[in-house]
Amino acid sequence: MKLFITGLNHRTAPVEVREKVAFPAANIEEALRGLLAQSGVEEGVILSTCNRVEVAVAGECDGKAVVEKFLAVARNVPETQISEHLYHYQGREAIRHLFRVASSLDSMVVGEPQILGQLKDAYTAAKNSGTLNGFLDGLLTRAFSVAKRVRSETEIGQNAVSVSYAAVELAREIFGKLQGHAILLIGAGKMSELAARHLHRAGAERIFVTNRTRERADQVAAIFNGTVVPYENFQASLTQVDIVITSSGAPHYILTRDQMKSVLQQRKNKPIFLIDIAVPRNIDPAINKLDNAFLYDIDDLGRVVEQNRVSRQQEAEEAERIIEEEVEKMVARLREREVAPTIVRLQEQLEAIRSGELDRLRGRLGNLTTQQEEALDALTKGMMAKVAHGAIAEVRKQASRGDATVIDTIRRIFRIPE
Amino acid sequence: MQESSVFWLRVAAVLYSVGLLHTLFTLLSRRTQLLSVALSSFVVAVILHLVSLVEMTRSLGHLPVENFYQSVSLCAFFIALVFLFVWWRYQFVPLALFLFPLVFLMTLVGSMQSPVAGWTSPRLREGWLFAHVLAVLTGYAALLLTAGASFFYLIRERQLKNKQPVKLFEHLPPLGTLDKIITNSLGITFLFITSGVIAGLTWAFIESGTRWISDARIHVALITWVLCLVAVFLRNTAGWRGRKAAFLSLALMGCAAVTWAAHIGLRPLLMER
Repeated sequence: MKLFITGLNHRTAPVEVREKVAFPAANIEEALRGLLAQSGVEEGVILSTCNRVEVAVAGECDGKAVVEKFLAVARNVPETQISEHLYHYQGREAIRHLFRVASSLDSMVVGEPQILGQLKDAYTAAKNSGTLNGFLDGLLTRAFSVAKRVRSETEIGQNAVSVSYAAVELAREIFGKLQGHAILLIGAGKMSELAARHLHRAGAERIFVTNRTRERADQVAAIFNGTVVPYENFQASLTQVDIVITSSGAPHYILTRDQMKSVLQQRKNKPIFLIDIAVPRNIDPAINKLDNAFLYDIDDLGRVVEQNRVSRQQEAEEAERIIEEEVEKMVARLREREVAPTIVRLQEQLEAIRSGELDRLRGRLGNLTTQQEEALDALTKGMMAKVAHGAIAEVRKQASRGDATVIDTIRRIFRIPE
Repeated sequence: MQESSVFWLRVAAVLYSVGLLHTLFTLLSRRTQLLSVALSSFVVAVILHLVSLVEMTRSLGHLPVENFYQSVSLCAFFIALVFLFVWWRYQFVPLALFLFPLVFLMTLVGSMQSPVAGWTSPRLREGWLFAHVLAVLTGYAALLLTAGASFFYLIRERQLKNKQPVKLFEHLPPLGTLDKIITNSLGITFLFITSGVIAGLTWAFIESGTRWISDARIHVALITWVLCLVAVFLRNTAGWRGRKAAFLSLALMGCAAVTWAAHIGLRPLLMER
């Protein structure tokens, strides 16, 4: 059985192409049945996300040509429009690619966790459609285990690689759990809204919003079921909140060192985390020098994200090593599977010899008791098993190394038909 | 007359100890239910303290400031009066956290002028000393945890301020968690060190009468206790958090180390008899 993976992703195809080829979730099972109807395809799975569309097939066919044609027909896109964006993997390379995709090494943001969930969804859909049998099923299950191993043995998914999520991680480093902590949004821009959304999801409960335009403040507050604070006296609420996100368009500092010093005194020095994503900055940078005030501006957050990206890249190198090891194991296992028929035939051959010889001798042995019969049976079976053991072990060993010569030799010695 | 004044002083010390319990309860449970009981007890203690001082003054013919014990007792009384005034005038109740234990300990020391009968049994003597050592060591263990958490707090805080994570320390707990560890372990430190100091002072009092007061080891131990009291007070009332509190905890650890070093020869003292 041969394995092929054909697809396109964010690196090989622009979004205009990806959106044409992507399968709507509702149509996946129907598409899978169409895939299985292709000549020579015995198993198939379709992974379709916003960044990639990949089709894996197993069978005795020209997978590349079959899938290319299938994609064109199923998605109603001329083959010429997509062929230049498609990549193809076969055999060992296909296994490596599958493991890399599952482990998020091939993702746009290396280490992002969503892809594994998406691959599991694709697996479930294929399972439900009956397009998975032993081979691809085993391979995908192995890919999930590899992804799990990569996540547990490396820190590939540990650090935030987006500005808004970096803010959440920093807040966690300061406060620990975010439950019970309050946020103040000064200025209700899209980016601060996104950061607040992440913080809210991470457990921050109360959200206060202040904005020069009351209407926009009302809109944002409504999203989080928060409270609007009048812009003129937002400083009064600084004693009640632990996280402040500023993105106001003010051309000057709206929070100075002296103001914050007084706020900290009123807060009895409870820590406060200030995230200034406005340009020009809204918060006096000298505030970071005050005890228990932690100020990060947009560049600081950018640097954190960059450091995390570099760190993920380093972890990715370790992940590649794990994947190489797993590919090796998987290929060895598949090769062993390939010689399984030879081993079965060898065992059948030996059993035929054993039972033939027993039948031949039975006349000379006279009447045997049941116990004697059983003892004789066990003796001859044991002898055959010992004779076969060395040969079977050697066949498996050589097969896992990809060496077929010993298999041919054993076939010849035991006269096993091809 | 003097015996009677010492009796009233000792009763006052017992009543002041309710204030100490209030402080410990507040530090460990963050609740102040005992405050009203402690305040009532404190007021009664101040009255009995006054009775003791009046009796002693009448007996001596002048204010009782002849020796260390009398001075400490009088000083404790004035501190108690000042507290009652501040409480009545400004309702500055958190001050009680600091002054209740201080007044109690000073009154306890002041009441130790007149020796009491010796140990009723060697077992009690050894058991008492054992309780003292156990309490102090438990307090020091908690203090070591406080100092460790403070050390890591300083590292973590520097990382966050400098915005430069250091690989070696990136798995440290969040600042909030470290701060909680510091607060809780400092409360436990204070509980055990206070118990240890009280047990140690009474042991020394019964053991050697009034001679113990000139022992430098006891001075060091008392300084450590006062520093511990200051630390818990500043942390709980003045909002001393972050770097300042961490440095204070480390200083307290240093002081405790000196006290420990000073007490290394305690066993031979026990074997003297």
